[in-house]
Amino acid sequence: MRVVRRLALLLLGALATPAHAEDVLYLYIWNSYLSEDTVRRFEAQCQCRVNQDYYSDNEEMLAKLEAGATGYDLVVPTGFAVETLLRKAALRPLDKARLPNLANLKAEFREPWYDPGMRYAVPYATTVTLLGYNARRLAQLGLPTDTWALIFEPRYLEKLKGKVTVLNSQRELMAAAMKYLGYSVQEIDPARWDEAKRLILRAKPYWATFSNSTYIKDLAIGNIWLAHGYSSDMYRAQQDALEAKRPFAIEFRTPKEGAVLAVDSFVLLKGGQRPDLAHRFIDFILDGTNAADVSNLIGAGNPNAAATPHIRPEIAGNPGIFPPPGDLRRLEMLRDFDPKTRRILSRMWTEIKVR
Amino acid sequence: MKGRATAWLWAAALAVYAFLYLPLAVVVLFSFNDSLLNAEWVGFTTRWYATLFADEQMLGAAANSLLIALTAATLATVLGTMAGMAMQRWRSGLLRCLPFLVLTPVAMPEILLGVSLLLFFRQVLDLTLGLVSILIAHITFSIGFVAIVVRTSLAMLDESIFEAARDLGAGPWQTFRRVTLPLILPAVLAGFLMSFTLSIDDFVITFFVAGVGVTTLPLQIYSMIKVAVTPEVNAVSTLLMALTLTLIALAARLAPDALKGRM
Amino acid sequence: MTERRSARHAGGPGESLTRWLVSLPPTLFLLVFFLAPALLMLGASFREPGDFGGLAPARQDGQWNLSLETYRFFFGDWIYAEIFLRSFLVAAATTLLCLVLAYPLALAIARSARRHRDLLVLLVILPFASNFLIRIYAWIIVLGPADLLYSPFAVIAGMVYVHLPFMILPLYTNLEKHDPALLEAAQDLGADTWTRFRRITLPLSLPGIWAGSALVFIPVLGMFAIPELLGGTGDILVGNLIKEQFLESRDWPLGATLSILLTIAVLLLAGISAWAGRPRRSSP
Repeated sequence: MRVVRRLALLLLGALATPAHAEDVLYLYIWNSYLSEDTVRRFEAQCQCRVNQDYYSDNEEMLAKLEAGATGYDLVVPTGFAVETLLRKAALRPLDKARLPNLANLKAEFREPWYDPGMRYAVPYATTVTLLGYNARRLAQLGLPTDTWALIFEPRYLEKLKGKVTVLNSQRELMAAAMKYLGYSVQEIDPARWDEAKRLILRAKPYWATFSNSTYIKDLAIGNIWLAHGYSSDMYRAQQDALEAKRPFAIEFRTPKEGAVLAVDSFVLLKGGQRPDLAHRFIDFILDGTNAADVSNLIGAGNPNAAATPHIRPEIAGNPGIFPPPGDLRRLEMLRDFDPKTRRILSRMWTEIKVR
Repeated sequence: MKGRATAWLWAAALAVYAFLYLPLAVVVLFSFNDSLLNAEWVGFTTRWYATLFADEQMLGAAANSLLIALTAATLATVLGTMAGMAMQRWRSGLLRCLPFLVLTPVAMPEILLGVSLLLFFRQVLDLTLGLVSILIAHITFSIGFVAIVVRTSLAMLDESIFEAARDLGAGPWQTFRRVTLPLILPAVLAGFLMSFTLSIDDFVITFFVAGVGVTTLPLQIYSMIKVAVTPEVNAVSTLLMALTLTLIALAARLAPDALKGRM
Repeated sequence: MTERRSARHAGGPGESLTRWLVSLPPTLFLLVFFLAPALLMLGASFREPGDFGGLAPARQDGQWNLSLETYRFFFGDWIYAEIFLRSFLVAAATTLLCLVLAYPLALAIARSARRHRDLLVLLVILPFASNFLIRIYAWIIVLGPADLLYSPFAVIAGMVYVHLPFMILPLYTNLEKHDPALLEAAQDLGADTWTRFRRITLPLSLPGIWAGSALVFIPVLGMFAIPELLGGTGDILVGNLIKEQFLESRDWPLGATLSILLTIAVLLLAGISAWAGRPRRSSP
């Protein structure tokens, strides 16, 4: 290995790390998770530059960090991924003295299970996994809109054959099935898994495809009438349909059986060079006007109480985005399974796909 | 008889060109479509190009992609041509294993290649990721494509030409420059073009080996999946094709001989 | 070790130097940047998944923590083998369709006037300078209204489209080397167009067909984006399975095992077809 290493280094001679010539904050984040305006205001205030690299999935980000990528100051993982990073000792504790605006956070987000005492993660945005639908079509067909039965029960699906997509995600689809069956999304009892598998296999022939992204366009165009997906995506489909003056409206709501809630938080990576800038940035975002941006931009829920007056009323008042207290009680966050369970689930998922 | 066969051949060829250009026409057309949705034609607009020209990040990513693709394709073509020649000419000793070394990266699933390169760069070499790491990765997966095409082309040649060149007193370099290269140039060019498209399109491997602050067009576009792909992407694709066409036309004008296959 | 070098190459004293100068750079590059990283992943296939992804330590409490567990899991039932088989069928269908589409185009270019050839080749590759994802989205727009989307048909169409240049280019580079005098001679002997094609062009183009087939068949196996975006509920290929291990269930050992078994299968197949379709070199 030594020889190989030498040789490779020789071939790479040109590649020296350029020193930080200026003040730059490196963010690893979802695309469009910060408005350009917010970034510009922060850059003006801190006299620094914000550099954003993007991922489109928690797992992508985790895999990349796991293999050793470094250089980022801040990432924005979802709850379970915060736990993963935390248990891997990849995170730097917050210096709360530098975050006076922390007081703006809503009470219900201050004691997350993955980060007791909020020592590492500052909640930024929330999403609910729910059902989005073509309101006109579903009304014409006389179908309900508030239950997972829509994607699982053949008596409804018969009217929707080929017009339904579900998420291409082991955990999310299982969670929907579990919720419909009245269990927790963390359920690992093999008998109940089997029950969920049978439920899914019975419904699968009616689905058009498993989709994680194309359903946004398909809904807005009208190719698909019902989709299992994320509230922010459904908001996007709704706005797109509105802007394109489609002859129907896209709506979305949380099924009455309960659903998955995702809370995305800012965390500091241990390897980051600029914790000072990172803290300034987090505190800047925690300010109500800035915090509201993400909700106005992509229709995300907001854990920041001071943001509420700055959020457009049609977003702040949408129960699919901001679940009312009754709904909130029925929402659950996903938690990582251990490696063995993950492998069994993946094996089952493969079987679901093949059959 | 002969005329009819040729006509049929060209009819078939044109149909295949049409197949290649059908989705492309959609891409270009919708880059001028006044609709976010791209489902149907609404009206003509250039606003997506205006958006694009104001989007520094997207333009920067496109420039990176083009730069990486040209550099990686050039280096991969050089190395791949060497590998192809070595595979064809020397089949003894350790070089008998060369075809495996060349073919396996083509056969390796790209995710595995991406993860393994990232692990290797970070945990074995302790290298900072950046343009160079992307370049190396792209060269690695392109070499095989070039080598296979070059080797196929070499296999078609009559070896007595090389003998004749040698008899006339040409050294190895002269033989290569004046005899071999002109003959295999179409294959070398094909190898370059394949490497170019492989590089400019690659998402998976690039995702893993890209460094902080270095982004390519595929990375930029894939990250937009979550927020829906807008016609701005059609605009940047159209632009990239126009630019590629211009660059190659320019190269053809500046060095017509090099492209024509005659020295 | 047998010296099979032909007398032609044993010639000058510069031969040995040339040999090193030509073969060393690509060999070295691939040894360092391909083989070394690949060996890391071979090692990974014998390890256990880490609690939170990645790999569990290979050595723990002074004991090596390596096993064949993941291979056992793979061979433990038929389901993964079934997906392998299915992927090979899809790859074979794609390769065949690519060949059928590519041949006339490559032949037409090779038979066109020399000054037009580069332009015609360029026209083949130009659509691929746009972005992969945007081309697939274009297919969604084209196939959507025809109700062909989200089906095995759409997957194959997408696969063929994406890989077509990798069949056209090797075929073209072979076909343009054919000596037109051969065809003329055959014509003088009274052979019709079809006979000339069957007896002369086709056999001579076999190396091109093999090269193109390899460059299409192999990459199709690792492809996951097309089944994901264009396929229906049942379209899962090895590529998807491998992607899932790295980017969903965080099971690197299984991902590595699947990849290595796939690579071995492909190399075996390549070895067999290289042996079967060996270009018979004319002896002087």
